[in-house]
Amino acid sequence: MSDGEIKIEGGEDAIPEHQETSGIDLNPNAQVCLQHLLRVWLGFERDLSTVPLLRRIDLGTYTIEDHLCLLRNLRQQVIEGSRWITRAASSFDRNHAEIRSIIISHAVDEHRDYELLEMDYVASGGKVEDIQGMERNIGTEALHGYLMYRSSRPNPIDLLGAMWIIEGLGEKMARSWAERIQQLTGLSEQSTNFMTYHGKNDADHMLRFYAMLDEVCVDQAATASIVKASKVVARLYRLQLEEV
Amino acid sequence: MSVYITSTGRFLPGPAISTEQVENVLGAVHGKPSLLRVQIQKANNIQTRHYAIDEQQQTTHSNTEMATNAAEQCLDRAFIARDKVGMLAVASTQGDLPAPGMASMVQAELGLAEIEILTTHGICSSSIMALKAAWNSLRLEEHEAALVVSSELASRLLKKQRYEAATNSTFAEKRIDFNTEFLRWMLSDGAGALLLQNKPAPKGISLRIDWVRGFSHAHAFPTCMSVGSAGRVEDQRTWQDYETYAEAEKAGALLLRQDVRLLDNILRMGVDGYLRLVEEGVSKPLEVNHFLCHYSSHHFRNKILDLLDAAGVGIPEERWWTNLYTRGNTGAASLFIMLDEFLRTDEVEIKNGEKVLCFVPESGRFNTTYMQLTVVK
Repeated sequence: MSDGEIKIEGGEDAIPEHQETSGIDLNPNAQVCLQHLLRVWLGFERDLSTVPLLRRIDLGTYTIEDHLCLLRNLRQQVIEGSRWITRAASSFDRNHAEIRSIIISHAVDEHRDYELLEMDYVASGGKVEDIQGMERNIGTEALHGYLMYRSSRPNPIDLLGAMWIIEGLGEKMARSWAERIQQLTGLSEQSTNFMTYHGKNDADHMLRFYAMLDEVCVDQAATASIVKASKVVARLYRLQLEEV
Repeated sequence: MSVYITSTGRFLPGPAISTEQVENVLGAVHGKPSLLRVQIQKANNIQTRHYAIDEQQQTTHSNTEMATNAAEQCLDRAFIARDKVGMLAVASTQGDLPAPGMASMVQAELGLAEIEILTTHGICSSSIMALKAAWNSLRLEEHEAALVVSSELASRLLKKQRYEAATNSTFAEKRIDFNTEFLRWMLSDGAGALLLQNKPAPKGISLRIDWVRGFSHAHAFPTCMSVGSAGRVEDQRTWQDYETYAEAEKAGALLLRQDVRLLDNILRMGVDGYLRLVEEGVSKPLEVNHFLCHYSSHHFRNKILDLLDAAGVGIPEERWWTNLYTRGNTGAASLFIMLDEFLRTDEVEIKNGEKVLCFVPESGRFNTTYMQLTVVK
């Protein structure tokens, strides 16, 4: 929020992951699952505030160097993200054709997002070879390993929990990081395209998410597996941001 | 041992002040109307409020007097002799004196002899802290009755002279300093009091306290609402670290600030705590008949409703009740002032056995507190 420009009325910074849900009628298991997922998300979001790099966004001490570091460390996960999601799509059998379609179209939307990150990196003053040459950090290794393992299993519905966290973070980047980072560093919109672009698409993605949740989350076992995956991904994602 | 709220009282100083009159009371800084007032007031939607200062910014009631007046009304309405009150717990963001604790001052005014006292310090949730301590004291059977009072005199922090004296502050430097003005057009003065007893009142409505819970997230978040620092990242001094108090005031370290950018987190943590209580089976959304929420802005209300509805545990809007729009946001005093009017209003019918869920979030450093009451008639 910039001085003199007050955005406290209206819902532009409300929480997109639920804004579109007013007309959605989830089955009772999916509702309980959503209650748990909300708590996992809120805890994840709170705990991100303790990650040193991200705390500087809150405190106002975030620098261009911090931004370059963040982008370098996000890229590998974004590249690997397109891989596990396509792997997951191929692991769904024909009884899950609808979900498979949704996941494939999601993968098409995002599988080249890392190119945005590279452009942001260069616009922020970094060299493209530095971001392209960056290897996975310790957290990325763990996150990627877990997601590839789960997505290789038959009908990996628990990965809805992973999507919940990763989509939520895309929305959070657009809502509370992109503009703030520009203010703190003096960088332009060209340095935060990855963050803002994700926010624009994620509203659509969440609608698809609720449809999938309603379809597959039909008993306690499904709820438990989805919630578990969301917790693991939340913890490993934070590890990735701690290990920069 | 069950504990009941058997009587309530409140004190709102002076006349109800309309939105347009607010700047006449708090004063226009350097004679210039605020550029932010209308926008902020529109967002919080408070129509009338009360101040314990007059249009010359002279204090008309001390914080101790307001607390005492609310307590007197509460005791006058109670079916119990004053000497049965064994404990006095008082909550405020800022008493009249930095020391001693405000409970000492209120006890003296009330003339309650040899009682146990407690002063809780914090912001909005200090009222729940005081109430919980008193509730536990009765549950331990140390007393048969305890008086809990919360009182706020925010306007002394918000009057024009405070801002005019901050000549070397972020407020003086900027044309518009949203974080410094936000609470100026939000908070106002008042006091509320509750009497807790180990049995229901013989007549009228009592409220049994079912549970009181709180979750603080200070370990994770920076400070959001505060007095005592200059609000500059590079300057870690607090008001007592300056050479003189005058220097601290010039630097703006005595101004009340809200880091508005962080404010959204209090809503999120509020929802998290509520979902936690639902998950633990402590709170059962379907059983809640009345929801009394101290939220600091009109804006929050819609967002809370949306989020909880999505999770299937929303509380229908017709079960919400508040007097924030007519009595103002009185910080720690708000919930007690709300409970006092809730028991007397014709707007809602209150039936025996109904559940009342109360929620008091504090943005200071993100403390969320909850209480459930059961109506006993």
